[in-house]
Amino acid sequence: MATIGNNNINAKLVLLGDMGAGKSSLVLRFVKGQFFEFQESTIGAAFFAQTLALNDATVKFEIWDTAGQERYHSLAPMYYRGAAAAIIVYDITSTESFERAKKWVQELQKQGNPNMVTALAGNKADLEDKRRVTTEEARTYAEENGLFFMETSAKTAINVNDIFYEIARRLPCAQPAQNPTGMVLTDRPAERLQISSCCA
Amino acid sequence: MHEAELHDLSDDSDYAASQQQASGSIMRCDSGKSAVTEPNGSEVVYSKDNVTIHPTQYASERISGRLLLVKQGSSLFMSWIPYKASTDELGYMSRSSNSGPTEKDRSLYTIKNLPLTDVRSIRRHTPALGWQYIIVVLSSGLAFPPLYFYSGGVREFLGTLKQHIFIMRSADDANVFLVNDFQDPLQRSLSSLELPGVVSVANRASLRDSRGSVSSADNSERVNQETYDGSASTSEYSGRHKHKAYDPARDLSIQVLEKFSLVTKFARETTSQLFREGHNNGFSPYEKRQQNNYASPNLVGTRPNDAQKNADVTSVASDPLEFDKLPLVWGKQRESPLCLAEWAAFLDSEGRVVDSKALRKRIFYGGAEHNLRKEVWKFLLGYHEYDSTFAEREYLAAVKKSEYDIIKSQWQSISATQAKRFTKFRERKGLIEKDVVRTDRSISYYEGEDNPNVAVLRDILLTYSFYNFDLGYCQGMSDFLSPILYVMKDESESFWCFVALMERLGPNFNRDQNGMHSQLLALSKLVELLDSPLHNYLKQADCLNYFFCFRWILIQFKREFEYLKVMHLWEVLWTHYLSEHFHLYMCVAILKRYRKKIMGEQMDFDTLLKFINELSGHIDLDGTIRDAEALCACAGENGTACIPPGTPPSLPVETDMGLYPQDDDVL
Ligand SMILES: Nc1nc2c(ncn2[C@@H]2O[C@H](COP(=O)(O)OP(=O)(O)OP(=O)(O)O)[C@@H](O)[C@H]2O)c(=O)[nH]1
Ligand SMILES: [Mg+2]
Repeated sequence: MATIGNNNINAKLVLLGDMGAGKSSLVLRFVKGQFFEFQESTIGAAFFAQTLALNDATVKFEIWDTAGQERYHSLAPMYYRGAAAAIIVYDITSTESFERAKKWVQELQKQGNPNMVTALAGNKADLEDKRRVTTEEARTYAEENGLFFMETSAKTAINVNDIFYEIARRLPCAQPAQNPTGMVLTDRPAERLQISSCCA
Repeated sequence: MHEAELHDLSDDSDYAASQQQASGSIMRCDSGKSAVTEPNGSEVVYSKDNVTIHPTQYASERISGRLLLVKQGSSLFMSWIPYKASTDELGYMSRSSNSGPTEKDRSLYTIKNLPLTDVRSIRRHTPALGWQYIIVVLSSGLAFPPLYFYSGGVREFLGTLKQHIFIMRSADDANVFLVNDFQDPLQRSLSSLELPGVVSVANRASLRDSRGSVSSADNSERVNQETYDGSASTSEYSGRHKHKAYDPARDLSIQVLEKFSLVTKFARETTSQLFREGHNNGFSPYEKRQQNNYASPNLVGTRPNDAQKNADVTSVASDPLEFDKLPLVWGKQRESPLCLAEWAAFLDSEGRVVDSKALRKRIFYGGAEHNLRKEVWKFLLGYHEYDSTFAEREYLAAVKKSEYDIIKSQWQSISATQAKRFTKFRERKGLIEKDVVRTDRSISYYEGEDNPNVAVLRDILLTYSFYNFDLGYCQGMSDFLSPILYVMKDESESFWCFVALMERLGPNFNRDQNGMHSQLLALSKLVELLDSPLHNYLKQADCLNYFFCFRWILIQFKREFEYLKVMHLWEVLWTHYLSEHFHLYMCVAILKRYRKKIMGEQMDFDTLLKFINELSGHIDLDGTIRDAEALCACAGENGTACIPPGTPPSLPVETDMGLYPQDDDVL
């Protein structure tokens, strides 16, 4: 298992979650280091790319940022189809957004790629005084459902890069030597995970 | 390699002519095959009644029929035959609303002996509430409208298919069944080449055009024939136009032709070929001249065949290099915006707009000065009648103001305790509040904390969601309202203008996405007509769903231009001067501007979506409007025929039924 050398992975990642939960803000923070108080709503979908260096590998994320409103739900499969990873985002100040996140988890478990690395992000962690979803509640839910969980803030940048790094680390071929907790590695590389030299 | 060559062939005019014959013979075969439904030699293996399509969102326009699978030899065919409207049904409908589908509408959607080899996939939808339906996607990437199984039977349908042909569940989506996925790619592209003859049932016959006149299907057949027939003489061409003295496209097409010194000997097809070939540069015409892009091996659809075709075209044109020297923009020079003095001249002493057509034309070519928008938009949007007087409008404003206040009080009177037990209200209010605070906040009118205008946006949207409870609030609506309030600076007037706009564009926000799907489908047909190499490229890149244009269409380019330019574009679109669907020609015009980049860089769906999103703020508006104008004129009736009836923003006909289908719970 040569992990030394040109170990480049392209991974499609999709952001799902209620409108206003902060999907676009998380991506913008990660890709451009920016945050806008009045980030406009996403119409249709947006696409970004960002590369991460991970030890001796690089992971190029192809990120799909989707529109959150329930009504656009029917378009989502087009974007999560074939994704290697997903971040399901909720807003810690909104219980509805947490409920919505659970629906997304279910949908991905039913429809998505079974090898998908799924993260649950409790965003707007800077708004502690308005918190409505406790960390424990979300962590328990995440553990029960085999997701990894972080609370993030696109505003203060807390845990934003970390969540993407963690996803990169857990991608089946990023570090084949270590089996990350909670992940079952299969022989079959995740769909759409294009690997140029690892697993060869 | 093979595929690209085939596409080239399809683009070749001789080939197109032979294909026309071929598809003619296919159609003859079809009528031969219709014997299949008779007992001899063929077997009906599946038959389901009450399978219905919903051409528009109106229940009265739904068309029910029978879905059949028929086996002949080793081949399987699918048919969907609409029921003949029974006299009862028709009589009832024409009395009540005269909006029921006509016999022609019905036959327009008929699927007759579609060989399953032409089907790429079948997507099954089984919503928890509402009817199950399937969407049949053809190898070309086009899809038939959803077939709703009113009496169930989707499973059985798929089960029967499975017994007779090889279908495979898609690995990506358990609800998608691939029909011909394993097929030899060469064969697949061959069968897709035959498609125009099959799909065009729903698209070729031109129904109502933008002026509401009806041209017969025979007529449009003839037009198509002429299209393919390069030898069609000018007299026929202009003769056809003479019958239409009212056709606004007329001056323009001639102007375009003159511009190319091609007034003689040019049939419509040649013109559209020019559009495809002469106008394919995303950048400067000079840059293009330096590159011999006809020889570029990377360009799909510009292979040697194109060079051949190019030679055909240039043999008519005086100077073979002329195309390259032409400026990028084609339509009429844009005019200065309508000014106050001109506006006053359009009104009679009592304030009626005497010649509304001339006014719309004037605004189409130049827009309106900003301070006139407050007046002019109310007419364009249909809130004010052109023949109303000053006095009538003043009275209307007062009446509408109190009407607005009444609707607004409906939600204002909901107390906090009541709201606790009214989830839908809370959710809706929540959605709106989340959106208004992030709508155009960099515009000074909406800037800053606790800006009262943001609160007005919220009030109007919430009131609208009570006025039109079925449609409710949907992301994108605040984008429409913001410039309207900015122009009107009045809550009630903004509300009613927004209402008028949503009369046309409400279907963009339908839960089943029907309004968007029909526009995206029309766009794909327009690109096929006006730029077949680009169409072929998008086809092989699997981008024919045109979702990369979703944002453009959903909010009419609101996010693509700066604020004032959006207003200019909107008033141009709202004139409906050349076409109600001018925005679709705008889409084609932009895609054509960047076609070389799109094809040259072999963009796939992801890259294309990113590219299109990032074009925001970089599109030359005036140039694009001019291109779109020229495209619209050149497409003429063939363009109109690409756009199925009922496609937004066509004005719907009011019925007793709900306007917005409630398949699912509404937020
Ligand atoms: N305080 C705080 N605000 C945030 C944070 N992330 C996002 N926001 C704000 O929340 C609002 C919504 O953020 P978006 O990133 O647009 O949300 P989204 O999930 O992309 O929403 P849709 O595109 O509508 O689905 C914006 O006003 C952001 O400024 C955060 O971490 N902290
Ligand atoms: Mg967003």
